[in-house]
Amino acid sequence: MHIPDGILSAQVCAAGYAVTGLATWYSLRQINRRPDPTAEIPKASLLTAAFFVASSIYIPVPPASVHLILNGLLGVVLGYFAFPAILIGLFFQALVIGHGGLTTLGVNAAMMGIPALLAYHMFQTRHTVGQLLKEPARTGVFAFLGGALGLGIAALIFLALIILNIPAQLDAGAEQTAVLALSIGHVPLAIIEGVFTAMLVLFLRRAKPELLEG
Amino acid sequence: MGATSHDTYIHRESVVHRWSPRLKLVSLAVLMFAFATVRQLTLVPWMLGVAAGLYLLSELPLSFLRQRLSYPGLFILSLVVLLPLTVGDTVLGQWGWLTLRQEGLMATLLIVGRFLSILTLGFILLGTTPFLSLLRAMRSLGLPTILADMTLLSYRYLFEIAAMLATMQQAMRLRGFGHKRQGWLRVNRQTMQQLAMLAGNLLIRSYEQSDRVYRAMRLRGYGYGAKSVEGQSAVTQPCILSWGLTGIVLAAAIGLVIAEGILRQ
Repeated sequence: MHIPDGILSAQVCAAGYAVTGLATWYSLRQINRRPDPTAEIPKASLLTAAFFVASSIYIPVPPASVHLILNGLLGVVLGYFAFPAILIGLFFQALVIGHGGLTTLGVNAAMMGIPALLAYHMFQTRHTVGQLLKEPARTGVFAFLGGALGLGIAALIFLALIILNIPAQLDAGAEQTAVLALSIGHVPLAIIEGVFTAMLVLFLRRAKPELLEG
Repeated sequence: MGATSHDTYIHRESVVHRWSPRLKLVSLAVLMFAFATVRQLTLVPWMLGVAAGLYLLSELPLSFLRQRLSYPGLFILSLVVLLPLTVGDTVLGQWGWLTLRQEGLMATLLIVGRFLSILTLGFILLGTTPFLSLLRAMRSLGLPTILADMTLLSYRYLFEIAAMLATMQQAMRLRGFGHKRQGWLRVNRQTMQQLAMLAGNLLIRSYEQSDRVYRAMRLRGYGYGAKSVEGQSAVTQPCILSWGLTGIVLAAAIGLVIAEGILRQ
């Protein structure tokens, strides 16, 4: 779900960099407010590398397989470090395997990173809104919502960008049908991502709960 | 993740390799954005020519570009197939239910042209600049310390974690994972659970390793007000050759933007 080079206009690419710059600045500001921001850097860095590697895991859905995005999970585990982590992860993807693009790095980072921050806030609301549910159902439900929201919003931004930027000699009716079909097509993917996130977070809760404290 | 196991830098003695990383990064980024502004089909050969010229100048092997172009081509490929058949009113040819349309074909040529030229520039940048020099150049251009340190550390452990995942996946396969047949369009809950635990284990191992890395870094003075490793390295002063190449590339970028403006009117 990366937008490669050459699809978007220079204005959209520049706007992507502007949004990413703003989101990075906001995330770094929140990180620098912590008592010792440098203490978190190795953890965030190694987890960035781990997420980048883990997103290459495919879930078999015969006859094909589903590629994981994991941006919601990144938000849930890394908090405000999620945005820089996604920016760096996408930079590596463009750098090492040529997936994504350098001009579209800003757009792709904003598309994946902002939903990750929303997923983090969604997961944090389990402390307030989720009081009605008991553990571990509370953690599971909010991790599902975080994972599904992360992918769902990223998919919507992706579709909006593609449809607004592809030469639009298509008639409005066909365009609406395409948007609707693609949006519905992404619902099962968001559910898979949500379930996977919930399973993984519940596993981490049992095996390494301090990873979920961020 | 096999592709992550090798660096993109290729050692050569070309002028592009000797180009100051900071100026190279800025010039090629400006040129990439200039390419992204192109909307006129007549400019596509010029754009491809500039990219090809720079690639020749960089002395990188053609196989380097060919290997890397194949991967992101999937999304582009779907556009190449769909746009000429679906977009536009001017019919160029018809074979049964297949209709080739002029507007779609032109849009495809434009998109593919931009894609190839921008990606070539990206690979020139990455193929001629070692990763650390690139990061140092970004740092000197104002990249925040947290981002620079995170990039450096993530890159340092990327290959190690990829190898860890490969070993874990092989161990799973040897224990019989993935041998059971699944029904069409059905997601097996147990398979999902096992993959979630695989990813979870990878995160826990990385987290534990990060703790050891942090302790080692603290012992060496990290976080005690010392500047980032990247910030300490002096950036070499660019030579005349670097300024010359920068001038030519920026002139090409400005030329393309002006030509685009004139042609659009």
